[in-house]
Amino acid sequence: MDNPKQLTGAQIVIEQLCLHGVTTVFGYPGGTVLPIYDALYQNSHRIDHVLTAHEQGAAHAADGFARASGKTGVVIATSGPGATNLVTGIANAYLDSVPLVAITGNVPVPLLGKDSFQEVDIVGVTQPIVKHNFVIRDVTQLERTLRKAFLIAQSGRPGPVLVDIPKNIQEATCEYHGIAPEHDKTPAPKFDITDALEAIKACKQPYIYAGGGVIAAGAEAELRQLSERLSAPVGLSMMGLSALPNDYWLNLGMCGMHGKYASSMAQAECDLMIALGVRFSDRATGNVQVYRQGHTIIHIDIDMAEFGKNVNPHLQLHGDVKAVLTALLSVLPEQKNEQWLARVAQMKLDGEIVQTGQLTPQQVFAAVRDVCDDSTVVATDVGQHQMWTTMYYPLAKPRTLLTSGGLGTMGFGMGAAIGGCMATGKQRTILFTGDGSFGMNLNELATAVSQNLPLVILILNNGVLGMVRQWQTRFYDKRYSQTTLQRKTDFPALAKAFGAEGYLAETLPQLQEILANLPDGPVVIDCRIDIDEEVLPMIPPGKTVADIITKR
Amino acid sequence: MEKFTVELLVSNRYGVLNRITGLYARRGYNIDSLFVNETENPEVSRMTICSHGDGDVQVQLVRQLRKLYDVRSVVLMASVEC
Repeated sequence: MDNPKQLTGAQIVIEQLCLHGVTTVFGYPGGTVLPIYDALYQNSHRIDHVLTAHEQGAAHAADGFARASGKTGVVIATSGPGATNLVTGIANAYLDSVPLVAITGNVPVPLLGKDSFQEVDIVGVTQPIVKHNFVIRDVTQLERTLRKAFLIAQSGRPGPVLVDIPKNIQEATCEYHGIAPEHDKTPAPKFDITDALEAIKACKQPYIYAGGGVIAAGAEAELRQLSERLSAPVGLSMMGLSALPNDYWLNLGMCGMHGKYASSMAQAECDLMIALGVRFSDRATGNVQVYRQGHTIIHIDIDMAEFGKNVNPHLQLHGDVKAVLTALLSVLPEQKNEQWLARVAQMKLDGEIVQTGQLTPQQVFAAVRDVCDDSTVVATDVGQHQMWTTMYYPLAKPRTLLTSGGLGTMGFGMGAAIGGCMATGKQRTILFTGDGSFGMNLNELATAVSQNLPLVILILNNGVLGMVRQWQTRFYDKRYSQTTLQRKTDFPALAKAFGAEGYLAETLPQLQEILANLPDGPVVIDCRIDIDEEVLPMIPPGKTVADIITKR
Repeated sequence: MEKFTVELLVSNRYGVLNRITGLYARRGYNIDSLFVNETENPEVSRMTICSHGDGDVQVQLVRQLRKLYDVRSVVLMASVEC
């Protein structure tokens, strides 16, 4: 722009959001964001604001929106309780490397630090769970800071950024320049593939361990090429789950504590592990010393600090996963490894698990998949139903699974499903949840109703906090401390009270009947499953594949 | 555990010291000594931090420090390569 315009801080926020391609934001108004909400009102034709029932729901929705779309999610909240209610959502995005910009209001600058009404040092509170955060004390810094915030959230390893804007800064005016969004000027990391190439050429039993970094880098096609080129089976971390279609024959599914049997076994038996965009979470590795033994590990990641943080790799390649894979694929010869693949095929057969009962989780996932297409977005909460989703719901396309990995946030699902639904232009979206998780943030049903979102919410209802109970069964001699809910919640009636549809499914035919006649708006289906159904296989915490539990 | 010293160039702004010591605190490492002064460029401060930790701890800490937005450079004053 030749002649800079005079804009208020609130108007600058709107202009910056538009400039960064933001069309949907999630949030909740309040005293110290009144100027921003006034500007949103006047710009409602440019930015769609989704009002949630609680700021936590808004944060999870922005997170879900980002996961499903690959764009940066934006959430707005007021100062004090509004800001602190975002904390779980921000931490969730941080642990799973989701690009998120959280904008909070705060008391006017002269009132900062005086324990003013609804004042909280949210920059101090969120410091350990953001890539970076800012307080704006001068309106002339606002435009530049927001540009930086988006750049930091999206660049390198993505993550959340919080920008705290005191109310008087939103009201103050200054020149607005409207310069194009900033690009990452940090030079791309240099890597040398020579040693990795030698190690790969020498291996007989390769295994690829792929995580969220593959999806963040958009390297799904390169991952598949590498797997095909090397005849290498692929195990996925929870964040990497949608990187390969479920029906790809070398996709063994998730590995780790509740991974698929073949995926964990092949990982232990391989002679070379190529780890792509993973951080070797304790849930994925179990006993780290044993995990590292018996094979060469090549770790490829954009974040230098991940090398050796949890597992010391034998070789490390610092760079964008897509760039490194492209370099490797340009020179790697083809491998057959028939013996190894035959061994892996046997592991797949050994790991078959069949659930029994009137309505089993396996049946629920199969029935739901029948009414979905390949691009349907699926969100989960946290617990047994989440693990069953990773095992039994066949994913086909990247970014179709929204699940809380690192933080393991019960209550993530409702917000995430709303965000995912908005990201797909209000396409039918599935939420698999449990009666425990759903109880945490079911208030967001109100949001699904007011937005008339085609959400299908399946509660895998066993009347208990199933995952914790499973641990009590296995490791605490069945002392079920505080995991039996003894609630009398009538979920179908609850759904109707919110203005949604609600049904009860006790048998597979009942569920199929409901799924065949889904309404256009949100629907809750209370699926009654067996109280003792477990997530299997399971590698106990800190143990190895040798300790894997496969039977009830 | 061996003694190690880290020298940083950081933005000379409020809150920066907090972010840096926070990284040490989260991992449970005590700071034995800390020296901060403004450099010839008033936008930049130099910090010298002495602490105790094993080699891999030192490398981890330096890499985590490098990820901080306000940190411009980090040098580990030891023979470990990071």
